[in-house]
Amino acid sequence: MSHSVECIECGASLSLPDNVMQGEILPCSDCGAELEVISLNPLTVDLAPMEMEDWGE
Amino acid sequence: MSAELITELVKRYSPSEQESDAVRYLVDWMTKNGFEASVDTVGNAVGWRGAPDAPYTLMLLGHIDTVRGEIPVRVEDGILYGRGSVDAKGPLCAFAAAAAQAVIPEGWRVIVAGAVEEEVTSSKGARHIAKTYTPDLCIIGEPSSADRITLGYKGRLIVEYTYTRTVSHTAHPEPSAGAMGVEFWKSVQDWAAHENENHERYFDQIMPTLQSINTSSDGFNEAVTMMVGFRLPPRQGPEEVVAAVSRFAAPNSELRAYGAEKAFQSDKNTPLVRNMLAAIRAQGERPGFVYKTGTSDMNIVGAVWGCPIIAYGPGDSRLDHTPNEHLSLAEYEQAVAVLRHFIEHLSY
Repeated sequence: MSHSVECIECGASLSLPDNVMQGEILPCSDCGAELEVISLNPLTVDLAPMEMEDWGE
Repeated sequence: MSAELITELVKRYSPSEQESDAVRYLVDWMTKNGFEASVDTVGNAVGWRGAPDAPYTLMLLGHIDTVRGEIPVRVEDGILYGRGSVDAKGPLCAFAAAAAQAVIPEGWRVIVAGAVEEEVTSSKGARHIAKTYTPDLCIIGEPSSADRITLGYKGRLIVEYTYTRTVSHTAHPEPSAGAMGVEFWKSVQDWAAHENENHERYFDQIMPTLQSINTSSDGFNEAVTMMVGFRLPPRQGPEEVVAAVSRFAAPNSELRAYGAEKAFQSDKNTPLVRNMLAAIRAQGERPGFVYKTGTSDMNIVGAVWGCPIIAYGPGDSRLDHTPNEHLSLAEYEQAVAVLRHFIEHLSY
């Protein structure tokens, strides 16, 4: 499995740790965008979930 | 099966401290659907599946009480109308239905709890559960919408301010008790605005609300009594706020604080969040995170247990406590599918 992946925000090449997990959220070291590992095989990242605010409860 | 559960539970109107009929229904339903279930000593509905001596426990903690205001229960075009459909019988029933349908992984016990008195400051049900269990993972049952995960709730504080003075002629230049109350409120607002500088998110701001102001006089003394509510960010504890606003209280006034809860914010990189993100994506949805300006039982149990914790459930929390409270049954079924996937892929 490759541990290198391209940031989908800025295109930078990112080296991910050997023990990276599905669902893990990592910052791009170039642009700072938060990325979510959505698949380990093939290694795929997407933009991490957006953070929103809401009221209630 | 699960749409019948939510519809029947919503039909059993259960404002805080009047939950027993709904609790009995949920316990009976869980017993018929593969749970060991009972009513605990404070009136909570509690059921579990999996091995009783399993090394890992997932707690699915919802609440079964609602605010007051009975809404006629009906289903129209796949939408369930009724008090508690969103806050929070939808999330609670989604927990029970998903845990009933799921194959519980070896090594895990899954507990579903419908706590009483979440909508009042006692939080009796959650406080009892906090002392009784020590789960490894916890999901609080509150509406986040089926594709979002709630990561935090603000803290809360209510301050009652009373100032009394001897009555004087209205031509006297000394400010009235009512005017002194207004001065206190303006000072609180100014302090909060100063503290909120450079904090853009509502979640990070101190949000004061003047809930009531009343003046009275018996001809000899006049008084003002005010209730000021605060929604608090993680950086500001209730004790710090009491200390800060005490500085604005007039001499000989009284300041009483209650309903204090600290804010609680969860980490995004936990096995709980990772597996929930995968479960939402498995249903073809793009997940989101949400921070709430209200409070929930997460504020109660989160600090006690110290385990990974989130809140999740179907429904639009903007409908909480409104006369138009309603829940899409399609979204409810989607949340059941997310939770079932999550349970069947539990890891720690």
